[in-house]
This record gives sequence, structure tokens and C-alpha cells, in this order.
Amino acid sequence: MNEVKEDLEQGTKSKIIPPESGAPFNAVEEVIYRRRSVRYYQDKQVPDYLIRRILETGRFAPSSGNTQPWKFMVIQNQELIKEMSRDVVKMMRLLMKFADYIEKGTWWKEWISKLFQRFSNNMFHPVPAAAMKLIAEEKLGVWHGAPTVIFLLMDRRSAGDPMVDVGISGQNMVLTAHSFGLGTCWVSFCKPIGMMPKWKKRLGIKFPYKLVTTVALGYPRGVPDGQVPRETQAIDWYEEDGSFKVIY
Amino acid sequence: MPEYLKCKDWWKIESFRKLGKDIILGTVEIDRAKCKGCGLCAGACAASALELKDKKVKMIDVLPACMSCGDCVAICPRGAIQLKGYFQLKRYFRYLDRGEPSLPRKF
Ligand SMILES: Cc1cc2nc3c(=O)[nH]c(=O)nc-3n(C[C@H](O)[C@H](O)[C@H](O)COP(=O)(O)O)c2cc1C
Ligand code: SF4
Ligand code: SF4
Repeated sequence: MNEVKEDLEQGTKSKIIPPESGAPFNAVEEVIYRRRSVRYYQDKQVPDYLIRRILETGRFAPSSGNTQPWKFMVIQNQELIKEMSRDVVKMMRLLMKFADYIEKGTWWKEWISKLFQRFSNNMFHPVPAAAMKLIAEEKLGVWHGAPTVIFLLMDRRSAGDPMVDVGISGQNMVLTAHSFGLGTCWVSFCKPIGMMPKWKKRLGIKFPYKLVTTVALGYPRGVPDGQVPRETQAIDWYEEDGSFKVIY
Repeated sequence: MPEYLKCKDWWKIESFRKLGKDIILGTVEIDRAKCKGCGLCAGACAASALELKDKKVKMIDVLPACMSCGDCVAICPRGAIQLKGYFQLKRYFRYLDRGEPSLPRKF
């Protein structure tokens, strides 16, 4: 306690002052607004020191009760990535045999698809369902040819919502990577890898660990980062004077 | 009660190949004069909604397609692409409480 007090007195830590209204975006805001998912990478590998610098920011994410329930795996073995991608494609193909809403004239598929949607409505939401079809047809890559893939795992025994904690640590790393001019893409179609016994064994994914998601990382082709328009969402606002408003 | 809860077909899951009725795709406008056919946008598109043809890029409007992420807009070195229509789902998966789209705003 004494030390902290001294620090403040001696002014060794400078205080950050909030921006004025209408001031230009600061460096953090710029990175957040410009970050885009990158699906087109150069063949060049990212040097180890940059990857370590990125992983380090993941380590400093907040977590419920400071439990830090994450585990990271860095995969740069191209053969391994290709093999995993092939297996994801195979699994998607299998799935599309039962659930495919887009193909016409197969009423029973449509019926099963609807059932899937009802009982697993996040995974079979129309957007990922459409993406699964693209992956099955190999029109959408799995890790998009990225030279490095970071696997994010969570400790299932952890406090509160470990999946949220892992998500926060992942976004720390993603934003850091973009601030270095690198590209990333969250890839949750890694799910089959976390479920297939073959891969669980090979990668050592076992209790208490569970694969949450992965992040592809590499040097982008072109300059994919840039601002884009996005929809605004209703924000319910309960004001100090007791009144209520909805803003967008 | 919020309006969406009053709606009777809210819970009804529909086949989403019914374009327009149960799903509205995003749309982008490509300025053909500006496009030099580098293909970066097609490579960036997760939905395979863009196709390079005769050294120009054009939109595919069959499912599955554009979810209005803007990745193509951001990557185009010529500024040839603009986001026009926004992805929307109907019935059960309907997006709620959305306002007008905009770029990042400074307050
Ligand atoms: C948890 C999560 C999982 C994702 N999984 C994938 C994926 O498997 N494949 C992919 O191409 N994009 C994936 N994305 C990227 C989204 O498609 C992308 O973030 C979205 O379209 C918005 O575009 P932006 O990231 O360029 O702003 C994922 C994003 C998140 C947050
Ligand atoms: S990125 Fe721009 S210039 Fe290149 S093909 Fe697409 S629209 Fe044309
Ligand atoms: S907005 Fe996104 S989904 Fe639509 S065409 Fe562009 S990159 Fe593809």
C-alpha cells in the first residue's frame, strides 16, 4: 500500500485524460474500428517474437475471480493444419447429407434441418449453416491458408463463465495482432476437431480442457483493415433523474 | 410487450431458401469503372458472394450469399465497393432492435 502511495506522489504513473467531445479516435479506437476478418494470407510466416508478444496480451485479460481459465496452442505445422482442414470439410459434408436447407426438392432434409435449428439454434442459425455448406463445397476455407493458428481452450472447472473469459483473452490478442499490421480471423468451424477422438488424442485435448475456438494469424494480402458501416443497436438508458430513453 | 413478441410467426422456423420472404441478403454495389479486377474482394468474402468474371467483379445473388460484413468494402484498393443492403432474417431468427447502419461515430 505504501509503495502505491509513493508512486502516485512521485508521479511515476501519468494519469490518462479522457478525450474532448468530437476528438479524433485514439490509437485503440482506430485498431478496433479498422479490424476486419482476414481470409487471404501471404505465405510468409510470422516471427516467434511477434506471436509471443500477441500471446502475452491474452494472458492479461480479465477473468472471473482471476481464474485465467485459458490455454493456448500455437499451430504452425502446415501439414497438421491441412489435415485438420480436410477433416473439418469431411465432417461438414457428412452433416450436409442430413441437414441442408438450401438444396431444393429434399423435403426430409428440410425437415431435419428445422429440427436441428430448433434444438441447436446457435450452431444451425442460418448464417453458420450456410457457411457449413460453403465449407463442405470447399468454397470457404477453414483456416484460410493462414501460416499460424492459435487454438483457444478453456478449463471447464473454472469459475463463472470461462467461455467469456477465453473470448476476452482472444480479442486482446486479435486487436494486438491488428495493431502490428497482421491479420486475424476467428474460426469457430474448428468445432469438429474438438469433438473427434482422433484429434483430441493427437492434440491432447482432454478434461479439464475443452476447445472453444481458434484464431488464424498471418500477414494479410492487400490491406484488408478499414472501417465499414454497421447497424446500430437499441440501447436502453435509465438516466440519473429517473427517466428512460432508448438511443441508437 | 415488445412488438416482436406480439408477432405470431415469431417462433416459426422456416426454410431459408425462400429469398425475400424469410431471408434478405446483403447487397454491395460495385463501381465497374473503378474495379481493376484484382480479386482481393472475392478472396476476402466469407460468403462466396463475389465472382470475378471478365476481369471485373460481380455479385452472386443465390444462397448462401452476402451477410453485409463489409470485408470486401474494406479491402478494395480502389474504393470500388459500397455496402447497400443489409442482411436480415425473418421469423424466429429475426434481428431485433436495430437502427440505421453507420460508420464508427465520434461523439
Ligand atoms: C466466435 C467467432 C467465430 C467465427 N468463425 C468464423 C469462421 O469459422 N470462419 C470465418 O471465415 N469467419 C469466422 N468468423 C468471422 C466473422 O464472420 C466476422 O467476424 C464477421 O463476418 C464480421 O466481419 P469482420 O470481422 O470483418 O468485422 C467468426 C467470428 C467470431 C466472433
Ligand atoms: S477489390 Fe476492388 S478492384 Fe479488386 S476486384 Fe474487387 S472491386 Fe475490383
Ligand atoms: S459484404 Fe461481406 S459477405 Fe457481402 S459481398 Fe462483401 S465480403 Fe461478401
